[in-house]
Amino acid sequence: MSVDLEDLFENAPCGYLSTGPGGRIERANATFLRWMGYVQGELAGKPFQELLNIAGRIYYETHFAPLLRIQGFFNEVALDFVKRDGKILPTLVNAVERRGAAGELLFTRITIFNATDRRRYECELLEARKAAEQANAALRELNATLEARVASEVAKRVNAEEAFRQAQKMEAIGQLTGGIAHDFNNLLTIVIGGLDMIDRQLQKMSASPEAARIRRSRAMALDGAKRAATLTSRLLAFSRRQPLAPRPLDLNRLVIGLADMLQRSLGETVALETVSGAGLWPAFADPSQLESALVNLAVNARDAMPRGGKLTIETANAYLDETYASAAPEPVKPGQYVQIAVSDTGVGMTPEVLAKAFDPFFTTKEVGKGTGLGLSQVHGFVRQSGGHIRIYSEPGQGATIKLYLPRADGAAASQPGFEPAARMLAGGKETILVVEDDDMLREFSTSALNELGYRVLHAKSAPTALELLRSEPVDLLFTDVVLPDGANGRQLAEEAERRRPGLKVLYTTGYTRNAIIHCGRLDAGVSLIGKPFTFEELARSVRAILDRN
Amino acid sequence: MDVIRRNNVHVAGRGDRPIMFAHGFGCDQNMWRYVAPAFERDFKVVLFDHVGAGGSDLSAYSREKYSSLQGYADDVVEICRALALTGIVFVGHSVSSVIGILAAASAADLFEALVLIGPSPRYVNDGAYIGGFTESQIEELLKFLDSNHMGWSAAMAPTIIGNPDRPELADELTNSFCRTDPEIAKHFARTTFLSDNRADLARVRARCLVLQCSEDIIAPNSVGEYVHAHLPNSKLVVMKATGHCPNLSAPAETIEAIRAFV
Repeated sequence: MSVDLEDLFENAPCGYLSTGPGGRIERANATFLRWMGYVQGELAGKPFQELLNIAGRIYYETHFAPLLRIQGFFNEVALDFVKRDGKILPTLVNAVERRGAAGELLFTRITIFNATDRRRYECELLEARKAAEQANAALRELNATLEARVASEVAKRVNAEEAFRQAQKMEAIGQLTGGIAHDFNNLLTIVIGGLDMIDRQLQKMSASPEAARIRRSRAMALDGAKRAATLTSRLLAFSRRQPLAPRPLDLNRLVIGLADMLQRSLGETVALETVSGAGLWPAFADPSQLESALVNLAVNARDAMPRGGKLTIETANAYLDETYASAAPEPVKPGQYVQIAVSDTGVGMTPEVLAKAFDPFFTTKEVGKGTGLGLSQVHGFVRQSGGHIRIYSEPGQGATIKLYLPRADGAAASQPGFEPAARMLAGGKETILVVEDDDMLREFSTSALNELGYRVLHAKSAPTALELLRSEPVDLLFTDVVLPDGANGRQLAEEAERRRPGLKVLYTTGYTRNAIIHCGRLDAGVSLIGKPFTFEELARSVRAILDRN
Repeated sequence: MDVIRRNNVHVAGRGDRPIMFAHGFGCDQNMWRYVAPAFERDFKVVLFDHVGAGGSDLSAYSREKYSSLQGYADDVVEICRALALTGIVFVGHSVSSVIGILAAASAADLFEALVLIGPSPRYVNDGAYIGGFTESQIEELLKFLDSNHMGWSAAMAPTIIGNPDRPELADELTNSFCRTDPEIAKHFARTTFLSDNRADLARVRARCLVLQCSEDIIAPNSVGEYVHAHLPNSKLVVMKATGHCPNLSAPAETIEAIRAFV
């Protein structure tokens, strides 16, 4: 070989190997020797595959050598050589057989390219591909659920915004009206003060037609001023800026105590029924504001029942949980509440009316028939008391307005005369006639009332009761609504009241409200405690009724 | 599943007596191209590809089935029965030697004789047994295969020949040789190199010829001796040919050795 060719061969940028028919190395160029860390002559006679790593050796014997044999060559096979120092040299190998005229194998020419960089790129590429595939899979997963998740997030957001907007709206209106109401109140104070002064002057004057005229005018002005004051106090109530004096309340007692006034507001065509919840927790609220709220609701109910109907006020313990709170149209703190539900059998509300029911100045009544402040006042009062209010209504199905007031810690202290600290229950000396066909219950009621100091008569049926009434002075008739022999408590009460005018009646029943309705309407002013009732409930109900005049 | 199509089975030859050639790890039935034709005059020559190699149906490959050599042996028996062969001479190269042993053990009625070229019942050394490889070497092999080098896929994929030195291959431009699906090959390597079928040698009743190559790193001399010693009825012939594939590197010697035996 000429010097030129020799130089080209030895110092080529790739490795050159030549193996004989037996696969042993006969020639290796300088470049290859340098890469491998061998010197000239060291590789002579070595089988080619001995220079490879174990995988290369196995695969050469089983795959590439056969390929070479059948095909005569192979190209670009990635093989790892093991250098003299044990380190790996990654390469790409081309091999081709050189055969003689008779087809005998003369040499195998092997060309070796240093593939260190390429091998590294391959690894990086494979890593990147794996990472991409994983990311793809994660993305697909995310995509599949994306729509659903977005929808639910949006719904949640919309709900929250709606609730917030509602609260903000009420707050804004509240601020506005509260401000106006305060100013008005101050002015009214001046007006009423002035009218009072006129009154004092009038009293010093002697009677005369002019004085009388002035007196009448003053009365009119005062009446107007007072009505204006009522209006502003309602505005303040609605705007939740009225001064509240909340305290622990026994709602059952409050409702019973209010029954009279409520019945008066309702008129004759509407029957009032009260259902006192058993074991009722004390509520924490301003009693007089609560009373006026209930009156408000009663008036609304009455107006929804132009042809008469029935109003039911029920109390019960309630727990508003997270599920309820998250679905509520207004923010409400989960926890224990005392519920008062006011239900009517009136015309009901459409969804559109329902949506605006609490809005101030919204009214379905004709001009002059309502200010539209009633419900918004109630709403304001309840919210200010830390409670929650909800209306359930459908057209033709009447309406139930549920007020939830926070449970008070500690026992209820409602009216003076009730000692919250002591478990003492107010008893009395009146005579009570207990009519109950259930022996055990009759005995319980009888002994309980006895314990409370009352004089107790008892009867198992209506006829016996009427007998007793004939001969004994009875202050209170305590009777089951349903009695044996087809009689009912109401008929008994009617007859009893006829015989003893001024007789007070307390009903009890174990049936559901619906059952009571089917038994016939209960009259105005009726009081009812549901079975089972506790000793305390009995005591309080009895006392409350007897205290009413 | 049509067995003939699944294993790319080819039948040639004028004879009645069946001779079946089974390629080993690496390659496909093409590796018999210099040996099989020599038997066509006197035998019915059956050639096939193991599932995963050559023209076999790759969709038939199941990792579970072929995680043991028995899976391949079952295929062999299926082919034989599908072709209704009896008194078969089975010629197995490399790991197909063991596949043939397993087939003959389970269906002794089919096989009259076994020719085992470069057989090895276990590749990893085990105490006194020299398989030729240490455990760490086989681990290194498997790790290397798992590292996914792209360089071998190209070489093992179909290639077009353009070799001036071998004009007789010119009309096979569209054919390919030693085709192996690289992923399946990885698994086949695992199955092969982790196998241990030493106990199965004793189950073969047919007469066997062990052809041991010189300087075969895959199946060294000690292994050939072991196989011969543990087969109940065998003959050992040490060939002059070197390397693992005498059917390619020394076809004449291989044909001679087989002929003398059958």
